Parts: sequence; C-alpha cells; structure tokens
Amino acid sequence: MVWAARNALLIPVVAGTKNNVQRNFGTNSVNYSKKDEQSAPTHGISKETESQESVKENTKKDLLDIIKGMKIELSTVNVQTTKPSSRRQRKSVEATIGSLQKTLEDAPKKRTKSVSPELEAAASAVADFLRFDKQTTKSELLRQLQQHEEVSKTQKDGERTKISVSNIISDMKVAKSATGRVSTRPVHQIQFDEGTDSLMGQKTDDLKKSLRKNMLKGKRLNIFYLKTVTEEAPKTETAPSLWDVEFAKQLAMVNEQPLQNGFAEMIQWTKEGKLWEFPIDNEAGFDDDGSEFHEHVFLDKHLKDFPKQGPIRHFMELVTCGLSKNPYLSVKQKIEHIEWFRNYFNEKQDILKESGIRLN
Amino acid sequence: MAAVAARRWLRFRCKVCLTLTGQRAGPCGQAPNCRDFISCRFYSGSATVPKVERANVTGIEEVVIPRKKTWDKVAVLQALASTVNRDTTAAPYAFQDDPYLIPTSSLESRSFLLAKKSGENAAKYIINSHPKYFQKDIAEPHIPCLMPEYFEPQIEDISEAALRERIKLKKVKASVDMFDQLLQAGTTVSLETSNSLLDLLCYYGDKEPSTDNHFQQSEKSEELEEAAEENNEKPKKANHQFGNLWRPENNAERIFALMPEKNSHSYCTMIRGMVKHRALVQALNLYTELLNNKLHADVYTFNALIEATALSAHEKPEDKWNNILELLKQMAAQKVKPNLQTFNTILKCLRRFHAFGKVPALQTFREMKAIGIEPSLATYHYLIQLFYHHENHSKGSSLIIYDIMNELTGRKFSPRDPDDDMFFQSAMRVCSFLRDLELAYQVHGLLNTGDNWKFIGPDHRRNFYYSKFFSLLCLMEQIDVTLKWYKDLIPSVFFPRSQTLIDLLQALDVANRLEVIPQIWKDSKEYGHTFRSDLKEEILMLMARDQHPPELQVAFANCAADIKSTYESQDGRQAAPEWPANSLNSIAVLFLRAGRTQEAWKMLGLFKKHNKIPGNKLLNEFMDSAKASSSPAQAIEIVKLAGTFSLPICEDLARRVMADFAISQEQKEALGNLTSLTTDSDSDSDTSEGK
Repeated sequence: MVWAARNALLIPVVAGTKNNVQRNFGTNSVNYSKKDEQSAPTHGISKETESQESVKENTKKDLLDIIKGMKIELSTVNVQTTKPSSRRQRKSVEATIGSLQKTLEDAPKKRTKSVSPELEAAASAVADFLRFDKQTTKSELLRQLQQHEEVSKTQKDGERTKISVSNIISDMKVAKSATGRVSTRPVHQIQFDEGTDSLMGQKTDDLKKSLRKNMLKGKRLNIFYLKTVTEEAPKTETAPSLWDVEFAKQLAMVNEQPLQNGFAEMIQWTKEGKLWEFPIDNEAGFDDDGSEFHEHVFLDKHLKDFPKQGPIRHFMELVTCGLSKNPYLSVKQKIEHIEWFRNYFNEKQDILKESGIRLN
Repeated sequence: MAAVAARRWLRFRCKVCLTLTGQRAGPCGQAPNCRDFISCRFYSGSATVPKVERANVTGIEEVVIPRKKTWDKVAVLQALASTVNRDTTAAPYAFQDDPYLIPTSSLESRSFLLAKKSGENAAKYIINSHPKYFQKDIAEPHIPCLMPEYFEPQIEDISEAALRERIKLKKVKASVDMFDQLLQAGTTVSLETSNSLLDLLCYYGDKEPSTDNHFQQSEKSEELEEAAEENNEKPKKANHQFGNLWRPENNAERIFALMPEKNSHSYCTMIRGMVKHRALVQALNLYTELLNNKLHADVYTFNALIEATALSAHEKPEDKWNNILELLKQMAAQKVKPNLQTFNTILKCLRRFHAFGKVPALQTFREMKAIGIEPSLATYHYLIQLFYHHENHSKGSSLIIYDIMNELTGRKFSPRDPDDDMFFQSAMRVCSFLRDLELAYQVHGLLNTGDNWKFIGPDHRRNFYYSKFFSLLCLMEQIDVTLKWYKDLIPSVFFPRSQTLIDLLQALDVANRLEVIPQIWKDSKEYGHTFRSDLKEEILMLMARDQHPPELQVAFANCAADIKSTYESQDGRQAAPEWPANSLNSIAVLFLRAGRTQEAWKMLGLFKKHNKIPGNKLLNEFMDSAKASSSPAQAIEIVKLAGTFSLPICEDLARRVMADFAISQEQKEALGNLTSLTTDSDSDSDTSEGK
C-alpha cells in the first residue's frame, strides 16, 4: 500500500482540495512521493490508481507523442498550483526502465465513494480529451483499471487542446513517482522533470546500479516456512546450560569498546556496585521490594480485622502510627508486626472476654 | 438519578478520605462529616450535575496514588555521558593517564592497554589465590565485587551436591573424579547432573579451562580493553582449534557410555562438543545414533552438524551443500526452528566454497529473510567475504555491497552473533577495493548511527577500518576535506600507520599543498614514525623537488634539519640504517635553497663520509650558490668534490668556474689539475666501458 500511495496518480481528481507534492531525491533513483489530502478520505488509493507496469507498447507510443507535442517548459514544470475548485490538472512525467509514461490530467470530476464507475467515467472522459484514437485509449484505460490491484499506477490524460500548452502546464501539477515495488522485486523507475527536455532516460552508471536487480531478493531455498517458524513452540523452562552462558558472554564481548568518557566509566562502576547509585538519597542500599512511600505510611488498611473501637483499636492505632514513622523496617516487616499483635490478641481471647473486651 | 450517581461518587470519595485522612484523624468520627460536607456541596449543584458527576465518577475511580517514579540507577549518568563528545585533539579517554604515559602511537597504545589489563589481572590473581588476607571489608555499603572470589570447592564429602559444586566451579578433573567416586560408591548420579557434567566436559574438550581464561570470564563484565582481550584470546583460540582436539575415549565419551539413561540433551551436548573440538565424523555418527534412539536434536545441535558437514574433508562443495540442505530438510521435518546462528553458520561455511558458494549463499540469505529471521551484521559480513574474496578480480566485481548498504543504512544494531564486529572492517575493505568514496561515506554513516560504533571491533580492526577509510579519502577526496578528516580522526580515533601518512603526503602533492608537510612531519614524529625511512624519504623528496617561495623554503629547511637530526641520532642505535643518497641530496638542496649554506656544505661532507654520490642537480645548485656569494674557493671545492667521486659532471663544473668566477692563477692551476685528473678517470671509465 505504501508504494501504491506514493505512486498514486489519481485519475479521478477530486475537485476542491489541495494536493501536496513532495519530492525526495535519493542517490540512485529519484523518489517522488505525493501526498494527496483527499485521497485519505476515499480510502483505497490502489483502487484509484491505474496500472503502469503493463502498459502496452502502443500506449507508450501515444504518450510519447503527447509528450513530444507538449513542449514542456521546464521552468514551469515544478510549479505547484492550486486550481480554482472546479478543475485541476496534473501532469506526471515519468520514465520507467524501458518505457516512459506521462499522464496529464485535466478533468473536472466529482468525488464519489464508488470507485469503479467513477474510474470508468474518468477513463472515458480522459479518452474524450485525447484528440486521437479515442476508442483505443478508452479501452486501454479500462483494461488497466482492472489490473489496478497488482501494479503501481499510471495516469493518463490528454490535453484538451493544443492551444497554449504552457498555459495548461502552468496549471498542472507534476508528480513524479519513484520506484514502484512490484512483487518482491523493485522496479526502478526514473523520473525526469526539470533539466531534461527529452524524456527518454539518460543512462548513467548510477542508473545502471539502480536498475540492477537487487541481489538480496529472489529465489530462496524454500525449506522452511514462515508459519512453522513463527508459531510459538511450548517453551520448556530449563536452566541455561554452559553453552548458553558462554555464548551470551561471547555476545556481550562483541560490542565492548573502550570507555568514551568519565561518565561512561562511572556508569560502569555503578554497574559493578562500586559507586553510590544516582540519584543519591537516603534509600541507598535499602531494598524494600519496590514498595512505596504510601505503603510505609498508611498502615490502617491492615487493621481491618481488629475491632472498630475500644482499647485494642486504640492500641493498634498507636502501633501503626509508630510503625509508619519507622524508617528502618520494610513494609513486610511492618505487616508482620501487626500480624503478630493480631495473633497475640487472638491467643488472649479468654482473658479479653473476661475483662469484657470484644475482639471481633 | 442524580442522587444515585452522587452517592456512588460519595462512597468512593469517602473511601479516599478514609485512606488519606484516617492516619491523622481516625475513621470513626470523620467519615460522616466528610459525607455531609460533600453531599452539601453536591446537592447545591445545578441540574447538569449528574452528567458531570458521571464523568467524575469514572475519573475518580481511576485515581490511584501515583507510583513512585523509579529511575534507572544509571539514567542520570547516561544523560550526562550523552552530552560529552569526542575530543578531537586528545587521545581517547581510555588512554588518559599520567601525561608521560599517554600513548602516542598504536604500538604504545597497545602496550598501554596490555599493561593496564595485566595489572588488573595480577591483582585479581593475588586476591583470589590468597582470599584469607583480603577479608577486611572497608566499604559501606558492602561492595561484593571487591571481595575475593572463592574458586575452591567447599563441600568435602562425596555426594552429588559436591559434584554439582565442582561442575559449577568448572573444575573439570575434580568433577570427573567425583563422578567416578560416586559411581564406585554405588550412587547413581541424576540425569540432570550428568548432563551438566557432560556440558562441562564437552565445552572445554575434557581439558581444564585455563586460569587465564578464567580471569577473562570474570573480567568480561567490566571489560575495559579490547586489545588486551584480543591478546588473551588468540592463543586460546588457537588452542581450541589445534591443541585441544577431541581425543577418542576421553572422559566425556566414557561418562556418556556409563550413563544409564540418556536424553536428547546428552546426545546434543556430545555432538556439539565433538564438533567444537573437531571430531566431525564422530559427531555425524552420533547424530545417526540419536536418530536411532528416536530422540530429537535441538537447533544448536543442527547448527553444529551443519558446521561439521561443511568442514568435513574429501568432499566436493556440491556434495557438502547437498548434505547441508539435507540437514535443513530434517530440521523442517522435525519442526526444529532454525535461528540466526543456523543461517550464519551456513553462510560462514559457504565462504569456503568460494565461487560455488555464491548462489547457495544468496538463497540462504533470502530464506532467512523470508522466514522472518533478521540477519545480523555477521550475516552481511559473510556475504561480503564470499563475494569479494578475490580482491584482484579482473572482471567486473560484484555489486552486492550496494544492495547491502541500501538495506542497512539507518539501522541500529545490537549484538547477536560473535562475528558481528567484523562487518565494518570488511565493508570498508570493499569500499577501498572498489575505490568508491560515496560508499565509504555510507558505511561510515552507518557506523555512526546510534550505538553502531561499538561494532567496530577491537583495536586492530578499528585501525584497519580507519586506515582504509582515510587512504580512500586521500585518494578521492578534495584535500581540504581530507585535512578536515585528518584533524578529526587523528589522534582521537586512531594512530596513523606510516603508509597512511605517505598516502596523505601524496594527496598533498596532487593538490599542491606542500606547505602542510612540515606539520605532517611533526605529527609523524609524534605518532612514532621518527625512524621510518620510507616516510622520511617521501617527505624530503616532496620538499626538495621544486623551488618554493623563500618563507616556505625556510620552513622546509627547518624540517629537513629535524629529519637530519633523526638520522644522526640513529647512529647511536643498533644497526643504524644507512643514509640514503636521496635524503642526503634533498636535505642539502633544502639547506641551500633556504640560504643555510654552511649546513649545506656540511652535508657535502657527509656524502664523503657515507660514501654516497651527490646528484648532478645538487652540485649545480651548489655552484649557483657559490656564484651568488661569489666565492671562487667554494666553487673549486665543489669541483674537487666532484673530482673525488669521479663524476662526469666535473668537467662541466670546472668550465663553469672558469667562465663565471674571477679566479686567481693559483686556483686556475688547481682547477687544471682537478680536471685533468677527472678527465683521466673519465677516460678510464670510458675505456672500461668500452671493454
């Protein structure tokens, strides 16, 4: 989807919104990504995109003719214009490996949710604008619409008239599409706009490099399958063997480097336990199982089993009060302390009853 | 409705009140008050209250007392450390010490690290071998890592616990003895303990782990120096590969045979041990046995088996590859999940197959990607090694490095394979081989992404990497940029080798920036290349080759005098190398051009002393200088000198003296003698040549 979105040159141009064109230049291939604000709501960019890869030769020829007839003015090519809401023209110039395609869009179109009919309409509209070969163009377009799933896009439009090509161009947006990735293998497309009059690609070394098949992609052994490998095996908990331990040690050594500065050294010392830990406070070396302040201070909740009032309650409140101020005991010890009194009073129940004190 | 909501809210609020205020006020009287107070407030609310309340209810129910924010104990330090950048003018932090001790060359840095490390080791050794003298615990709070460690077994009697303790302390021999004693006493050792004993025996190949090794392990956590590490490791590795081979009938095999019951772990550890200690055939046989016993091998064992298959001798690469594939298929059939090591092992082994290995390697790589195992740096390193094995490949070299770099750029790595630290070195080697500066920058960019710099490996690999990188810069980059890199990298990252400096000199020559040379000479002295005659000759040659503006000539002459003094001080050293004639020539010329005539004349004396022949150009320059100072005596001296060396130029010089100088009769005669002498010797040499 990402590539589709990037390369998207939408045939049905929705009127009234702005298009942003962003360009990224990479070293090997020119990357042209285009953000289409209105494409977000009509989710399904790929549906709106037309296939590019499989464009037939004659289409290419047609396009070439169009382009040649257009006399692109380079200086204006990159101008981004926002059309008055009724219409938008956009031109994309792109050269693929062997081919070159250009699309010019100039059609007032309405945004609709249903894509296919719209595409059809768009296609015929496009064909209408093409001065020659209407039928062929239309059918070409439609055929590619059917293939929109598998390929990046093409956009095609004919200029309405020959008159004042530069006027049209000044209204056009140029979109350049970058490498379209199809299946596993990237197809490098090189786009030209400024600086090249001829849209036929010039081949440089860099270009060759980028056209080369990525050697890291292609046929594999086909022994393992993703499913079997990723599925979770029942983990049996076993202690790490000597092999595991030694391997881990080896790994730890891989990225060990001399210390870079004094702080790094302090980090190391901290890890070795030779330094006081930051932040330095009065809790250094005080391990309390991560219990927190309120657990130390608010101990009333542990008094639930004691009577709600009376001397025992009073006594226990004093106990908890004292405990809450004791910094030396851990929470666990404090609870044990309370626990001890609970047991104590339970054991002394007889005496308590005699003196008329209710325990529960 | 409103009331219900409010009440619910109340109940909760009161609970909060209780817990929060109970401490001081006690719950009994307080709660109703609290309730009253709150209800008053609520009922005075407007009609919209319920809605708000409801929101509040949920809001309050979620209120928990905020947890104490716990910081990592090193978070503060990490934040501080991230603010410190490398000081390009100083030696790396690890070397900062007493100024006298700060190393200035790669050799010194190495011995510095070694000295530091061995000091630590010695201290540790003493503490650990005499723990009873180091019991005083002065630190508060207690610092465990400063206390002696106990390596002697504490349990004396014969029991399984004692055996386990010995295994834990990695006492190979003691463990075996204990096992035998237990067996004799009729006690059966549990499967688990026997297995861990087998682990120990197999890992160390039935040899005691060396004490050196032992220290190394305890040091690993506090590793400071890689160089020291490296030094310890090399003999150890060699030991493993050559000295510590699997002996048939060793204790591991014996105990394995004695074990009444064996599980797959027993088999697996035996196979791994055999492969580790290069008993490949036995390992493969044991695997068959394991299958016959209806047990399953784990992934580590398969990795070892793959290695064994690839290493086994007397087989063609094709057959080995098929065997490896067979093993992989068995893994798939037994539902053993391959891991990163599986594929890295395959790729590592495929390197041995050279050209044949390329296609399988790519397929293997794609396979691991396809099943979602992220390759580590080591994986790419193996690929690079395989594809750029022959540096002098005449036909087009592979371009796979571009794919690799495209894939890796911007990524950050964590260590996942012991060979991960080899990648940058081999990538830079390829850059240098392809002469692709762009690519080198890309590699360097990757190195400086995140914490990737840690993967540059130990000292010698870092030096290799930066030497290659810098040489490439000298070759391809504009001189200003190169000099910027020079300032940046040296000495804070690495100490240049003399070849690196020569490369830089050549770059300076090409860019016509010879005025930097005296500075370079100063640096090279600092980096321990004072006695590198190839470097010195290069410097002198470049300085003496052309005429320069006077102030530059003065600087050059100073530099030449400095170089000269290094040759002279060398005389005190053993096996003082000869003064090369070129250097003598160059130094003399430089002195002359800077107007230090006297010193230049002294240089002429050196020619005689070292029995070297001055060049014609030099003699002519001397003549020019004599003429400039209009000193016929000097001019005649030159002719004399040329005469003593029987140089053919002698006659020309004499003629020049006759023509250019006003000389006395006496001098004329002397000159006449000289020329006749030389003409004689000239004719001699002519005749000898004629013969």
